[in-house]
Amino acid sequence: MSSAWRNALAAVVLVGATSAGLLAQDGMRGFGRGRASTEIASTVDYDGRFAFMRLRYGRPSGGFNNREPWAHDYPRADFHFLKILSELTFVRSVVDAGNIRTLADPDLAMFPIAYMSEPGFWTMGEEEMEGLRGYLEKGGFIIFDDFRDNHRDNLIAQMRRVLPQATWRPLDATHPIFHSFFEINSLDVEGYYGPVEWTGIFEDNDPAKRLMAVANYNHDLGEMWEFSDTGMMPIDVSNEAYKFGVNYVVYAMTH
Amino acid sequence: MFDALFQFFFDLSPLVFSQGEFRFAPTTGSYVAAVVVGIAAGLAALSYRSGRGRTRDRVVLATIRIALLAVILICLFRPLLVVKAAVAQQNFIGVLLDDSRSMQIADNAGQPRAAFVRDEFGAPDRGLLKALSERFTVRLFRFSSAPSRVTQEDLSFSGSQTRLGAALSGVRQELAGLPVAGLVMVTDGADTADAALGEALLGLKAEGLPVFTVGVGQETLSKDIQVGRVVTPKTALKGTTLMVDVVLSQSGFDGQKVTLDVEDEGTLVSTQQVTLPDAGTPASIPVRFSVTEAGPRVLRFRISPQAGELVTENNAREALIDVRDRKEKILYFEGEPRWELKFIRRAVTEDPNLIVTALQRTADNKYLRLGVDTPDELVAGFPKTREELFAYRGLVLGSIEAGAFTGDQLRMIAEFVDRRGGGLLMLGGPRAFAEGGYAGTAVADVLPVVLDRNQLQPKDAVSRMSVKPTRAGSATAVTQLAATEAASAEKWGTLPVVTTVNRIDAIKPGATILLTGTDETRRERPVLAYQRYGRGKAFAFTPQDSWVWQMHASIPVEDMTHENYWRQLLRWLVDGVPDQVEPRSMTERVEPGEAAELTANVVDPSFVELNDAAVSIRVTAPDGAISDVPMSWDGEHSGEYFASIPTRAPGWHEARLEAMRAGKIVGSSVTHFRAAPGDAEFFDATMRAATLKRVAEDTGGRFYTSDNTATLADDLRYTGRGVTTVEDHDLWHMPIVLILLVGLLCAEWGYRRVVGLA
Repeated sequence: MSSAWRNALAAVVLVGATSAGLLAQDGMRGFGRGRASTEIASTVDYDGRFAFMRLRYGRPSGGFNNREPWAHDYPRADFHFLKILSELTFVRSVVDAGNIRTLADPDLAMFPIAYMSEPGFWTMGEEEMEGLRGYLEKGGFIIFDDFRDNHRDNLIAQMRRVLPQATWRPLDATHPIFHSFFEINSLDVEGYYGPVEWTGIFEDNDPAKRLMAVANYNHDLGEMWEFSDTGMMPIDVSNEAYKFGVNYVVYAMTH
Repeated sequence: MFDALFQFFFDLSPLVFSQGEFRFAPTTGSYVAAVVVGIAAGLAALSYRSGRGRTRDRVVLATIRIALLAVILICLFRPLLVVKAAVAQQNFIGVLLDDSRSMQIADNAGQPRAAFVRDEFGAPDRGLLKALSERFTVRLFRFSSAPSRVTQEDLSFSGSQTRLGAALSGVRQELAGLPVAGLVMVTDGADTADAALGEALLGLKAEGLPVFTVGVGQETLSKDIQVGRVVTPKTALKGTTLMVDVVLSQSGFDGQKVTLDVEDEGTLVSTQQVTLPDAGTPASIPVRFSVTEAGPRVLRFRISPQAGELVTENNAREALIDVRDRKEKILYFEGEPRWELKFIRRAVTEDPNLIVTALQRTADNKYLRLGVDTPDELVAGFPKTREELFAYRGLVLGSIEAGAFTGDQLRMIAEFVDRRGGGLLMLGGPRAFAEGGYAGTAVADVLPVVLDRNQLQPKDAVSRMSVKPTRAGSATAVTQLAATEAASAEKWGTLPVVTTVNRIDAIKPGATILLTGTDETRRERPVLAYQRYGRGKAFAFTPQDSWVWQMHASIPVEDMTHENYWRQLLRWLVDGVPDQVEPRSMTERVEPGEAAELTANVVDPSFVELNDAAVSIRVTAPDGAISDVPMSWDGEHSGEYFASIPTRAPGWHEARLEAMRAGKIVGSSVTHFRAAPGDAEFFDATMRAATLKRVAEDTGGRFYTSDNTATLADDLRYTGRGVTTVEDHDLWHMPIVLILLVGLLCAEWGYRRVVGLA
């Protein structure tokens, strides 16, 4: 990353953090901060712009810390990221509304990038499984974030149901996804839960083809985004998390 | 019929009258008789001045009587027709016999046209040949292309073309210096030559050499189906689906259903049922097929022969398409990351003949390059020189505002279409069209839609449109989403709506709307519009998200609608885009032994015409023999070079063109042509009376049909050419004179009976 872009990102993080902080005090008051229980309900109608698509799974209530695992870091992570994305790039984004859908929602297809938090707790029915399979095969892209330990086993098992032939492959720093916007030349990153392992599923299991899914094992980008305005996270750590998120979006929109 | 009646009443043929000079040859007795007749007329007038009957009756009777006396008086002055007549056996005539394949058509009273030739010219002791030989020294020639002297045994009726002009000019030169009374041309008149007939006729006219044409065959065939015309591109990219119009005409098969097949070098690539149009009304049938094999391909469009057809050879028409297996490079410049780029690139990923190189602007002055060939390609952003931009064959502008370009770059884009001959496609988006500030720019001139900076879509206003092809669009491959036209129309009806953020209401006068959309207010909007501009073409595709035709929940995973649509559209975008060395006009087929004529345009990398290049063609003949033929600048058109390539054996010839300048290669190109007998003889193979009449009338001859040649030999005597003698033909004893006299007497008597003066 050039120093110019590094400075720009740092500046935007600060601006975004300030804005998001204000937003949280005002319009987002209902969603609360941190791990507080919240009522989640938000979708946007497709109008040609990018909207951050958070996937909902499992039962409608219960879950970790009185919050559903899929909703961890919502909405602050999503809104912070959208703010950064729209400030840094020319991606036209919906910055003022969340977008939460199930894998069985037909309108999922109108948002070809999806984000799933805590895939270690991911469960799905047949309809959701079919929905995700079609979504990925037709050109969709999914980001799995915020999981550790044996959570990966569940992710692998669920994805085997979706794409039985698919295999997870480790990604290295030469992959285009790490160079689509920011130049990320090292994946030697200490994640939220330990050393991060970056893995992905390629179309037809061919590394030369499109990456359909990316998983940040031992990491929690959402957590970094969520608390980027609190001072709990060092700027550099937040910066790096945004860089990965921005690159994922730009890659998925171009590959 | 007219000739026979004329001959009966006037004793001579009309031609003799037209050639002769009318005179009187009175004797002294004629003047005495004139005085007597004058006195008789006066007495008649006096006697009818008074007497019985009404004045009107007397006037009528006096007029009849005086007319009768006038006819007698004219006869007494001995009217003559003075004509120059050819002296028997002192003059030559040239007889040209059509030896082409169309003479095998059996529409001359149930017999082949050739039978008439054999009957009339098969032996010296019968038919027209006998009649002519009694009066002239006859020189027989056969012709299809060039004429040659023949005996009857030489006629095979297998010539693959009919060139009336060349035949007439050839015989005229052959008989130069001889006393020639005229030429007789026996033919169906189905001229297959590209050259106009007028030049040959001028030569004959200047020499005063009349041509007597004998038309053999019928002017309309009673039962026939003809594949009249097939319009195909000269070149196509391998794997392209083509929609071509096949023009059918027929007689005797109104409303009948037949099967129209398309074969690619013998392999069936398309078949469809068609209903034949009404007789005499050609109908254009759209036919779809794919070209999947590279190289020169002969496509055959065929309708199976039907029972009772007189000519079956015209049921098939061949077309040559040079199918190129190469990668056509398209530059796609996208101004903001969005799904359209991803899905268009995906749609053509599997296409081996298209490369979409993407320049994706991701942020201000930040670009992502995709699909570049070299590390330096597009490294400085959008091309800044013509050489750099013109290396691409197609250009797609996504949601990128006009302000992102310099004025010169905008002009370069316009020249990319106009001068380079490339294909430009602008996609809908918030930074495209008038919303992107293109109104009033050089690019706006090129686009097929009208951009109005005062009629912009309100910011953030999104219109949803359901899309369907127009009538014109249905005739193009790009709108074909299913195997049949009906299935394709149904498919369009099921596609999800797309959105647009551009307000486009009108297209340019020369543009065509191929896809139209209906928005929420039921207003029709152009979705895909097209126009030719200069040497190239430009498209406008107004939606911002055709990718929903791939991703939408209603679209099955295996559905290929989006892929097919974009492959076809991008292939069309680069179809026919010229190279730096571009064969411009080519004779697809020549007769074996004839020369093929080739012209080529040669330009430099910025597509400025070059007149000082060294251009040569390496020709590989069917037997593998290689020869080099230089091309020369034609001296008239900038950048245009010409060569004539001789052929010997039938078969495919490969022509590899290469242009050099200052020791460097400017460019190269490959094309093909075929030496083979043509089948043009059987198309529009009716007897062309109009053409033959024109030949006769322009040269001072006469036109005959095959059943009306009785006076031909005599008529030839009165052309006034060659060794002639003057003949006086008395006219007073013509049957018409006697009939007139008797008629006048009867009229007087009859009138008297009617009015009671008898």
